Amino acid sequence: MLSRMTPSLASHSGAQRALGGVLLGLTVALAATSARAQVASADVNTALFVEPSRRSGLTVINPSATAAVKPSNWLTIQGGYEADIVSGASESVKGGRLSNVDIVTSATHFADTRNAFNGGFTITRASTHLTGSYTYGTEHDYRSNAFAVSAGTDFLQKNTQIELSYGRGFDKVCTTAFAASDAPSSRLALDNSQGCFTDDKKRASRDISLDNFQVGWTQTWTPVFATQMVLSAALQNGFLGNPYRSVVIASAGDQALENHPENRARGAIGLRGKYYARGLQTAFSAGARLYRDTWDIFGQTYELDAERYMLPWLRVLVRARYYTQTKALFWSDDYTGGEPATGPRGQYWSGDRELSPLSSYLIGARALATREGRPGQRVLGLFLSFSGALSFDLLKTNLRDFTLGGRAPDDTLALLWSLGLRGEF
Amino acid sequence: MKHLEVHVVPKALGLLLGASLLLASAGCATVRPEQRAILADPTMQFDEKAADRAALEHALDNREGSTGGGSVRGGGCGCN
Repeated sequence: MLSRMTPSLASHSGAQRALGGVLLGLTVALAATSARAQVASADVNTALFVEPSRRSGLTVINPSATAAVKPSNWLTIQGGYEADIVSGASESVKGGRLSNVDIVTSATHFADTRNAFNGGFTITRASTHLTGSYTYGTEHDYRSNAFAVSAGTDFLQKNTQIELSYGRGFDKVCTTAFAASDAPSSRLALDNSQGCFTDDKKRASRDISLDNFQVGWTQTWTPVFATQMVLSAALQNGFLGNPYRSVVIASAGDQALENHPENRARGAIGLRGKYYARGLQTAFSAGARLYRDTWDIFGQTYELDAERYMLPWLRVLVRARYYTQTKALFWSDDYTGGEPATGPRGQYWSGDRELSPLSSYLIGARALATREGRPGQRVLGLFLSFSGALSFDLLKTNLRDFTLGGRAPDDTLALLWSLGLRGEF
Repeated sequence: MKHLEVHVVPKALGLLLGASLLLASAGCATVRPEQRAILADPTMQFDEKAADRAALEHALDNREGSTGGGSVRGGGCGCN
């Protein structure tokens, strides 16, 4: 969850110790297997997400480490660790343009850390592969267990590739201890995560189940042109709101815990093409994605990118992306008015800006340097190959109908930096 | 139910037929192994899981109401 409203309970040093432990374990595992492994690899990455704001800025540091070994030609074993170290401030109450609640100054500071551990395997036989993985994630107010399997094969002289995947998640989220029979308008939001996942009578744990299905079809058409189509579907069931967020639901200022439907079915189709322009020595990619769900959100994404080698060991990518979506059926900036535009929307209410009509623009770039070793001459005396990537992206969001007490939020510009290192042994 | 049968079934059949035709036409497009030098380059790979791309998609998933085309993730929403 790593909610905007989680209080300062996080222990960054704990996350660092966990990361250190995992890195040490992976190093030992690599050292133990490298003598007989044909290939082993290690990835270490760090991303920094910053959303500046006068009152409700957000900073997320996302370190991760992954190691993989191939004890035989047909088997790859992989393990990894990832964290989200979040800090910032957020409004705990959502009211719209008719609200007289002082929402802006209600912003509360928070910090939390999500730790996620994953492990998996891939079995490869001729032109077919089977992958299985498991991920466990933990936060002060959220627990998750996710299993995923995928199988793929290629045929028609490897010009066609089909991949099927399925994932199942069993999550738990902490809320206040309201009963299912309690009227939604009487439910309270969490004000902190103390007591979560304990026998505290003021806290409750609620289930969320997640099913994800995906089919991918990749096709090469010419020596310089390939396409990919991806169909995906997801089913979500359980507590799908933010347990910390209250919404103003009456003109007198009455507030209640955000109330979302308990079921959501989501579907998307994505189509991408890649074309290599020999004259420009550049690979171009264009993609479009259409999305629809049972909450009546319709989303469209359009992407373009271009990548070329500036030097034999250095390639640079530039990208641009446009996204737009309609609002959820029950979205309203303000639920207290009498007219449809600012009034109730059925039995549900939300303060989630992701359910409001919005569009966004993204531009970014990445530089990736690779150094390949030679037989008997490893890079830095250790690696068969070594690469480093540095990227920067800028995301600007246009919220068409979301206000905080009538004011447009100022945290609509996000900056993302990423640094990654990869070594193959 | 009748409404569903009248409108959804022909659409589904049309989609299936279209996908079948596309797949069938894919059999006519043959790129021989010796012609794959460019296609094999990392710049032409769809599944290149670059770390920066994963971090970007993680951020976008938490800033937009739609998702899809990805694999299962654990650990909640991450950063809202």
